[in-house]
Amino acid sequence: MASNFTLSMKAVDDVVVLVPKGYINDLGAVRIEQASEQYFDKGTRKFIINFADMYFINSIGASVITGIVNKNLEREAVLCFTNMKKMHRDVFEMLGITKHVRVFREEGDALIFLHEGE
Amino acid sequence: MERKTDLTRLLFSISSLADLGQEVSSAKDVEEKMRSALYVVTGMFSVPRAALLAYTPRRRCMEVLAGKGVDAAPDIRLCVDAVHLKSFPMNELVACDDLAGSPLYERNREAFRRLGTKTFVPLFAKNECVGALSLGKRLSRNAYLRSEKDALKAAAHQLAITLQNARLFLKLSEKVAENKRLYENMRQIYLDTIQAFAAAIDFKDDYTKNHSLRVATYAAAVAGDLGWQEKDIEAIYIAGLLHDIGKIVIDSGIINKRDELTTRERDVIRTHPQVSYSILSKIRFPWKNVVQFIRHHHERIDGGGYPDSLSEGELSEGAKILNLADAFDAMVTDRPYRDRLTLEEAFREIRRCRGTQFDGRISDVFCDLLRKEMDGDVMQARILPQLRKIGALQLEPAGTLYEA
Repeated sequence: MASNFTLSMKAVDDVVVLVPKGYINDLGAVRIEQASEQYFDKGTRKFIINFADMYFINSIGASVITGIVNKNLEREAVLCFTNMKKMHRDVFEMLGITKHVRVFREEGDALIFLHEGE
Repeated sequence: MERKTDLTRLLFSISSLADLGQEVSSAKDVEEKMRSALYVVTGMFSVPRAALLAYTPRRRCMEVLAGKGVDAAPDIRLCVDAVHLKSFPMNELVACDDLAGSPLYERNREAFRRLGTKTFVPLFAKNECVGALSLGKRLSRNAYLRSEKDALKAAAHQLAITLQNARLFLKLSEKVAENKRLYENMRQIYLDTIQAFAAAIDFKDDYTKNHSLRVATYAAAVAGDLGWQEKDIEAIYIAGLLHDIGKIVIDSGIINKRDELTTRERDVIRTHPQVSYSILSKIRFPWKNVVQFIRHHHERIDGGGYPDSLSEGELSEGAKILNLADAFDAMVTDRPYRDRLTLEEAFREIRRCRGTQFDGRISDVFCDLLRKEMDGDVMQARILPQLRKIGALQLEPAGTLYEA
């Protein structure tokens, strides 16, 4: 079955914004982990995941997000979640993920926070 | 607020167990299936580091089948005795604190450290240990709630059954591989026996040493060039090896006679395709049409051949190929009654008999193939090495064949 998931990335100064699109419900979503890993290795320590185009997240998706959050914690990087739908927020809160990330309504708010934090 | 979270958790657990069922019953290969299943479980409980271990009773160890966050350590192995396993509840969570001090933990302390195990779930299917699930600390830092333990138990049960099925599948695959090896061995013995028969046939004739092997090689080469399937190419190769088996019953004096044969002697010689057929038709070959190819290898497309005087439309492609391969080898080797033809002469003879004795298309394919081999335009020459062995190439500059 083809994955219904795509990932776009952009760098805004020293911040990397990951924009997953579609359904994070299979191992295709591991690409988010791999992408953030590559940026970690290049020295990036500020990340935003913008969930605006993400419709559905299941346990596999939650596992991928868990992995990214954990790596951010281990490397003392800052991770922001933005544009989350209620469903995402409920699941991430229930799983205790939001304890470890900064949550913003819009991507722009997170960018301001990360830039001001310098 | 608490009730809302409980409801979200319940719905997420139910949906995750459904995901798990879908993953383990998917058509993915075992490793990918188990990796997906592990991701489902780690997502259910927000665990960043985890491993699914498969138990191998013969080696008394558990090895990492799928890992998350432990990928850099695929060599991790837990040494496990049956006695270790009996002390744990089946498919239920064992906290690391409860694990500490157990023989299993003490013996594998380093492996547990590398796995980052905080929770260990021995996996049992039908009372048989099939593996274990190692879960690291949760991102939420929370202890497992009663409802989460129940969900984990349900997930563990599914994982255990999947592991057991994978183990059965592996056993079956090993059995299939073993049978395939046995089949290949038997096939090789079969081929060797047929080659021995072919050598025995050729031994009878002072002039035709390795004739059957060469005919088989030429015929297989032409069939391959015509796009035949592997199994059918093997069939015509076998037919080539055995096509003259009927000569075994013919008096050597006739076969090796230097003078011209009498009509009676020629009639005797001409019985050999039919005799070959009679001998071989009792054998149930694993290839199709071998005996028909052999029976008709002296038929001509103009209907002037023997034993059945078949016409072009009645002859199979295999019989036509074998006919040409046999005739060509006869042309380029010495016979008791005449010297060999040069390659150029043989080509001219094939062209002369094209459309009467030989099929036009097969004649062209054979001549083209030999030219290509001589020009080095093929990956692996098959006809040329045989011609070299019988010294048929010494006289031939390649270009003369084009003129012929």
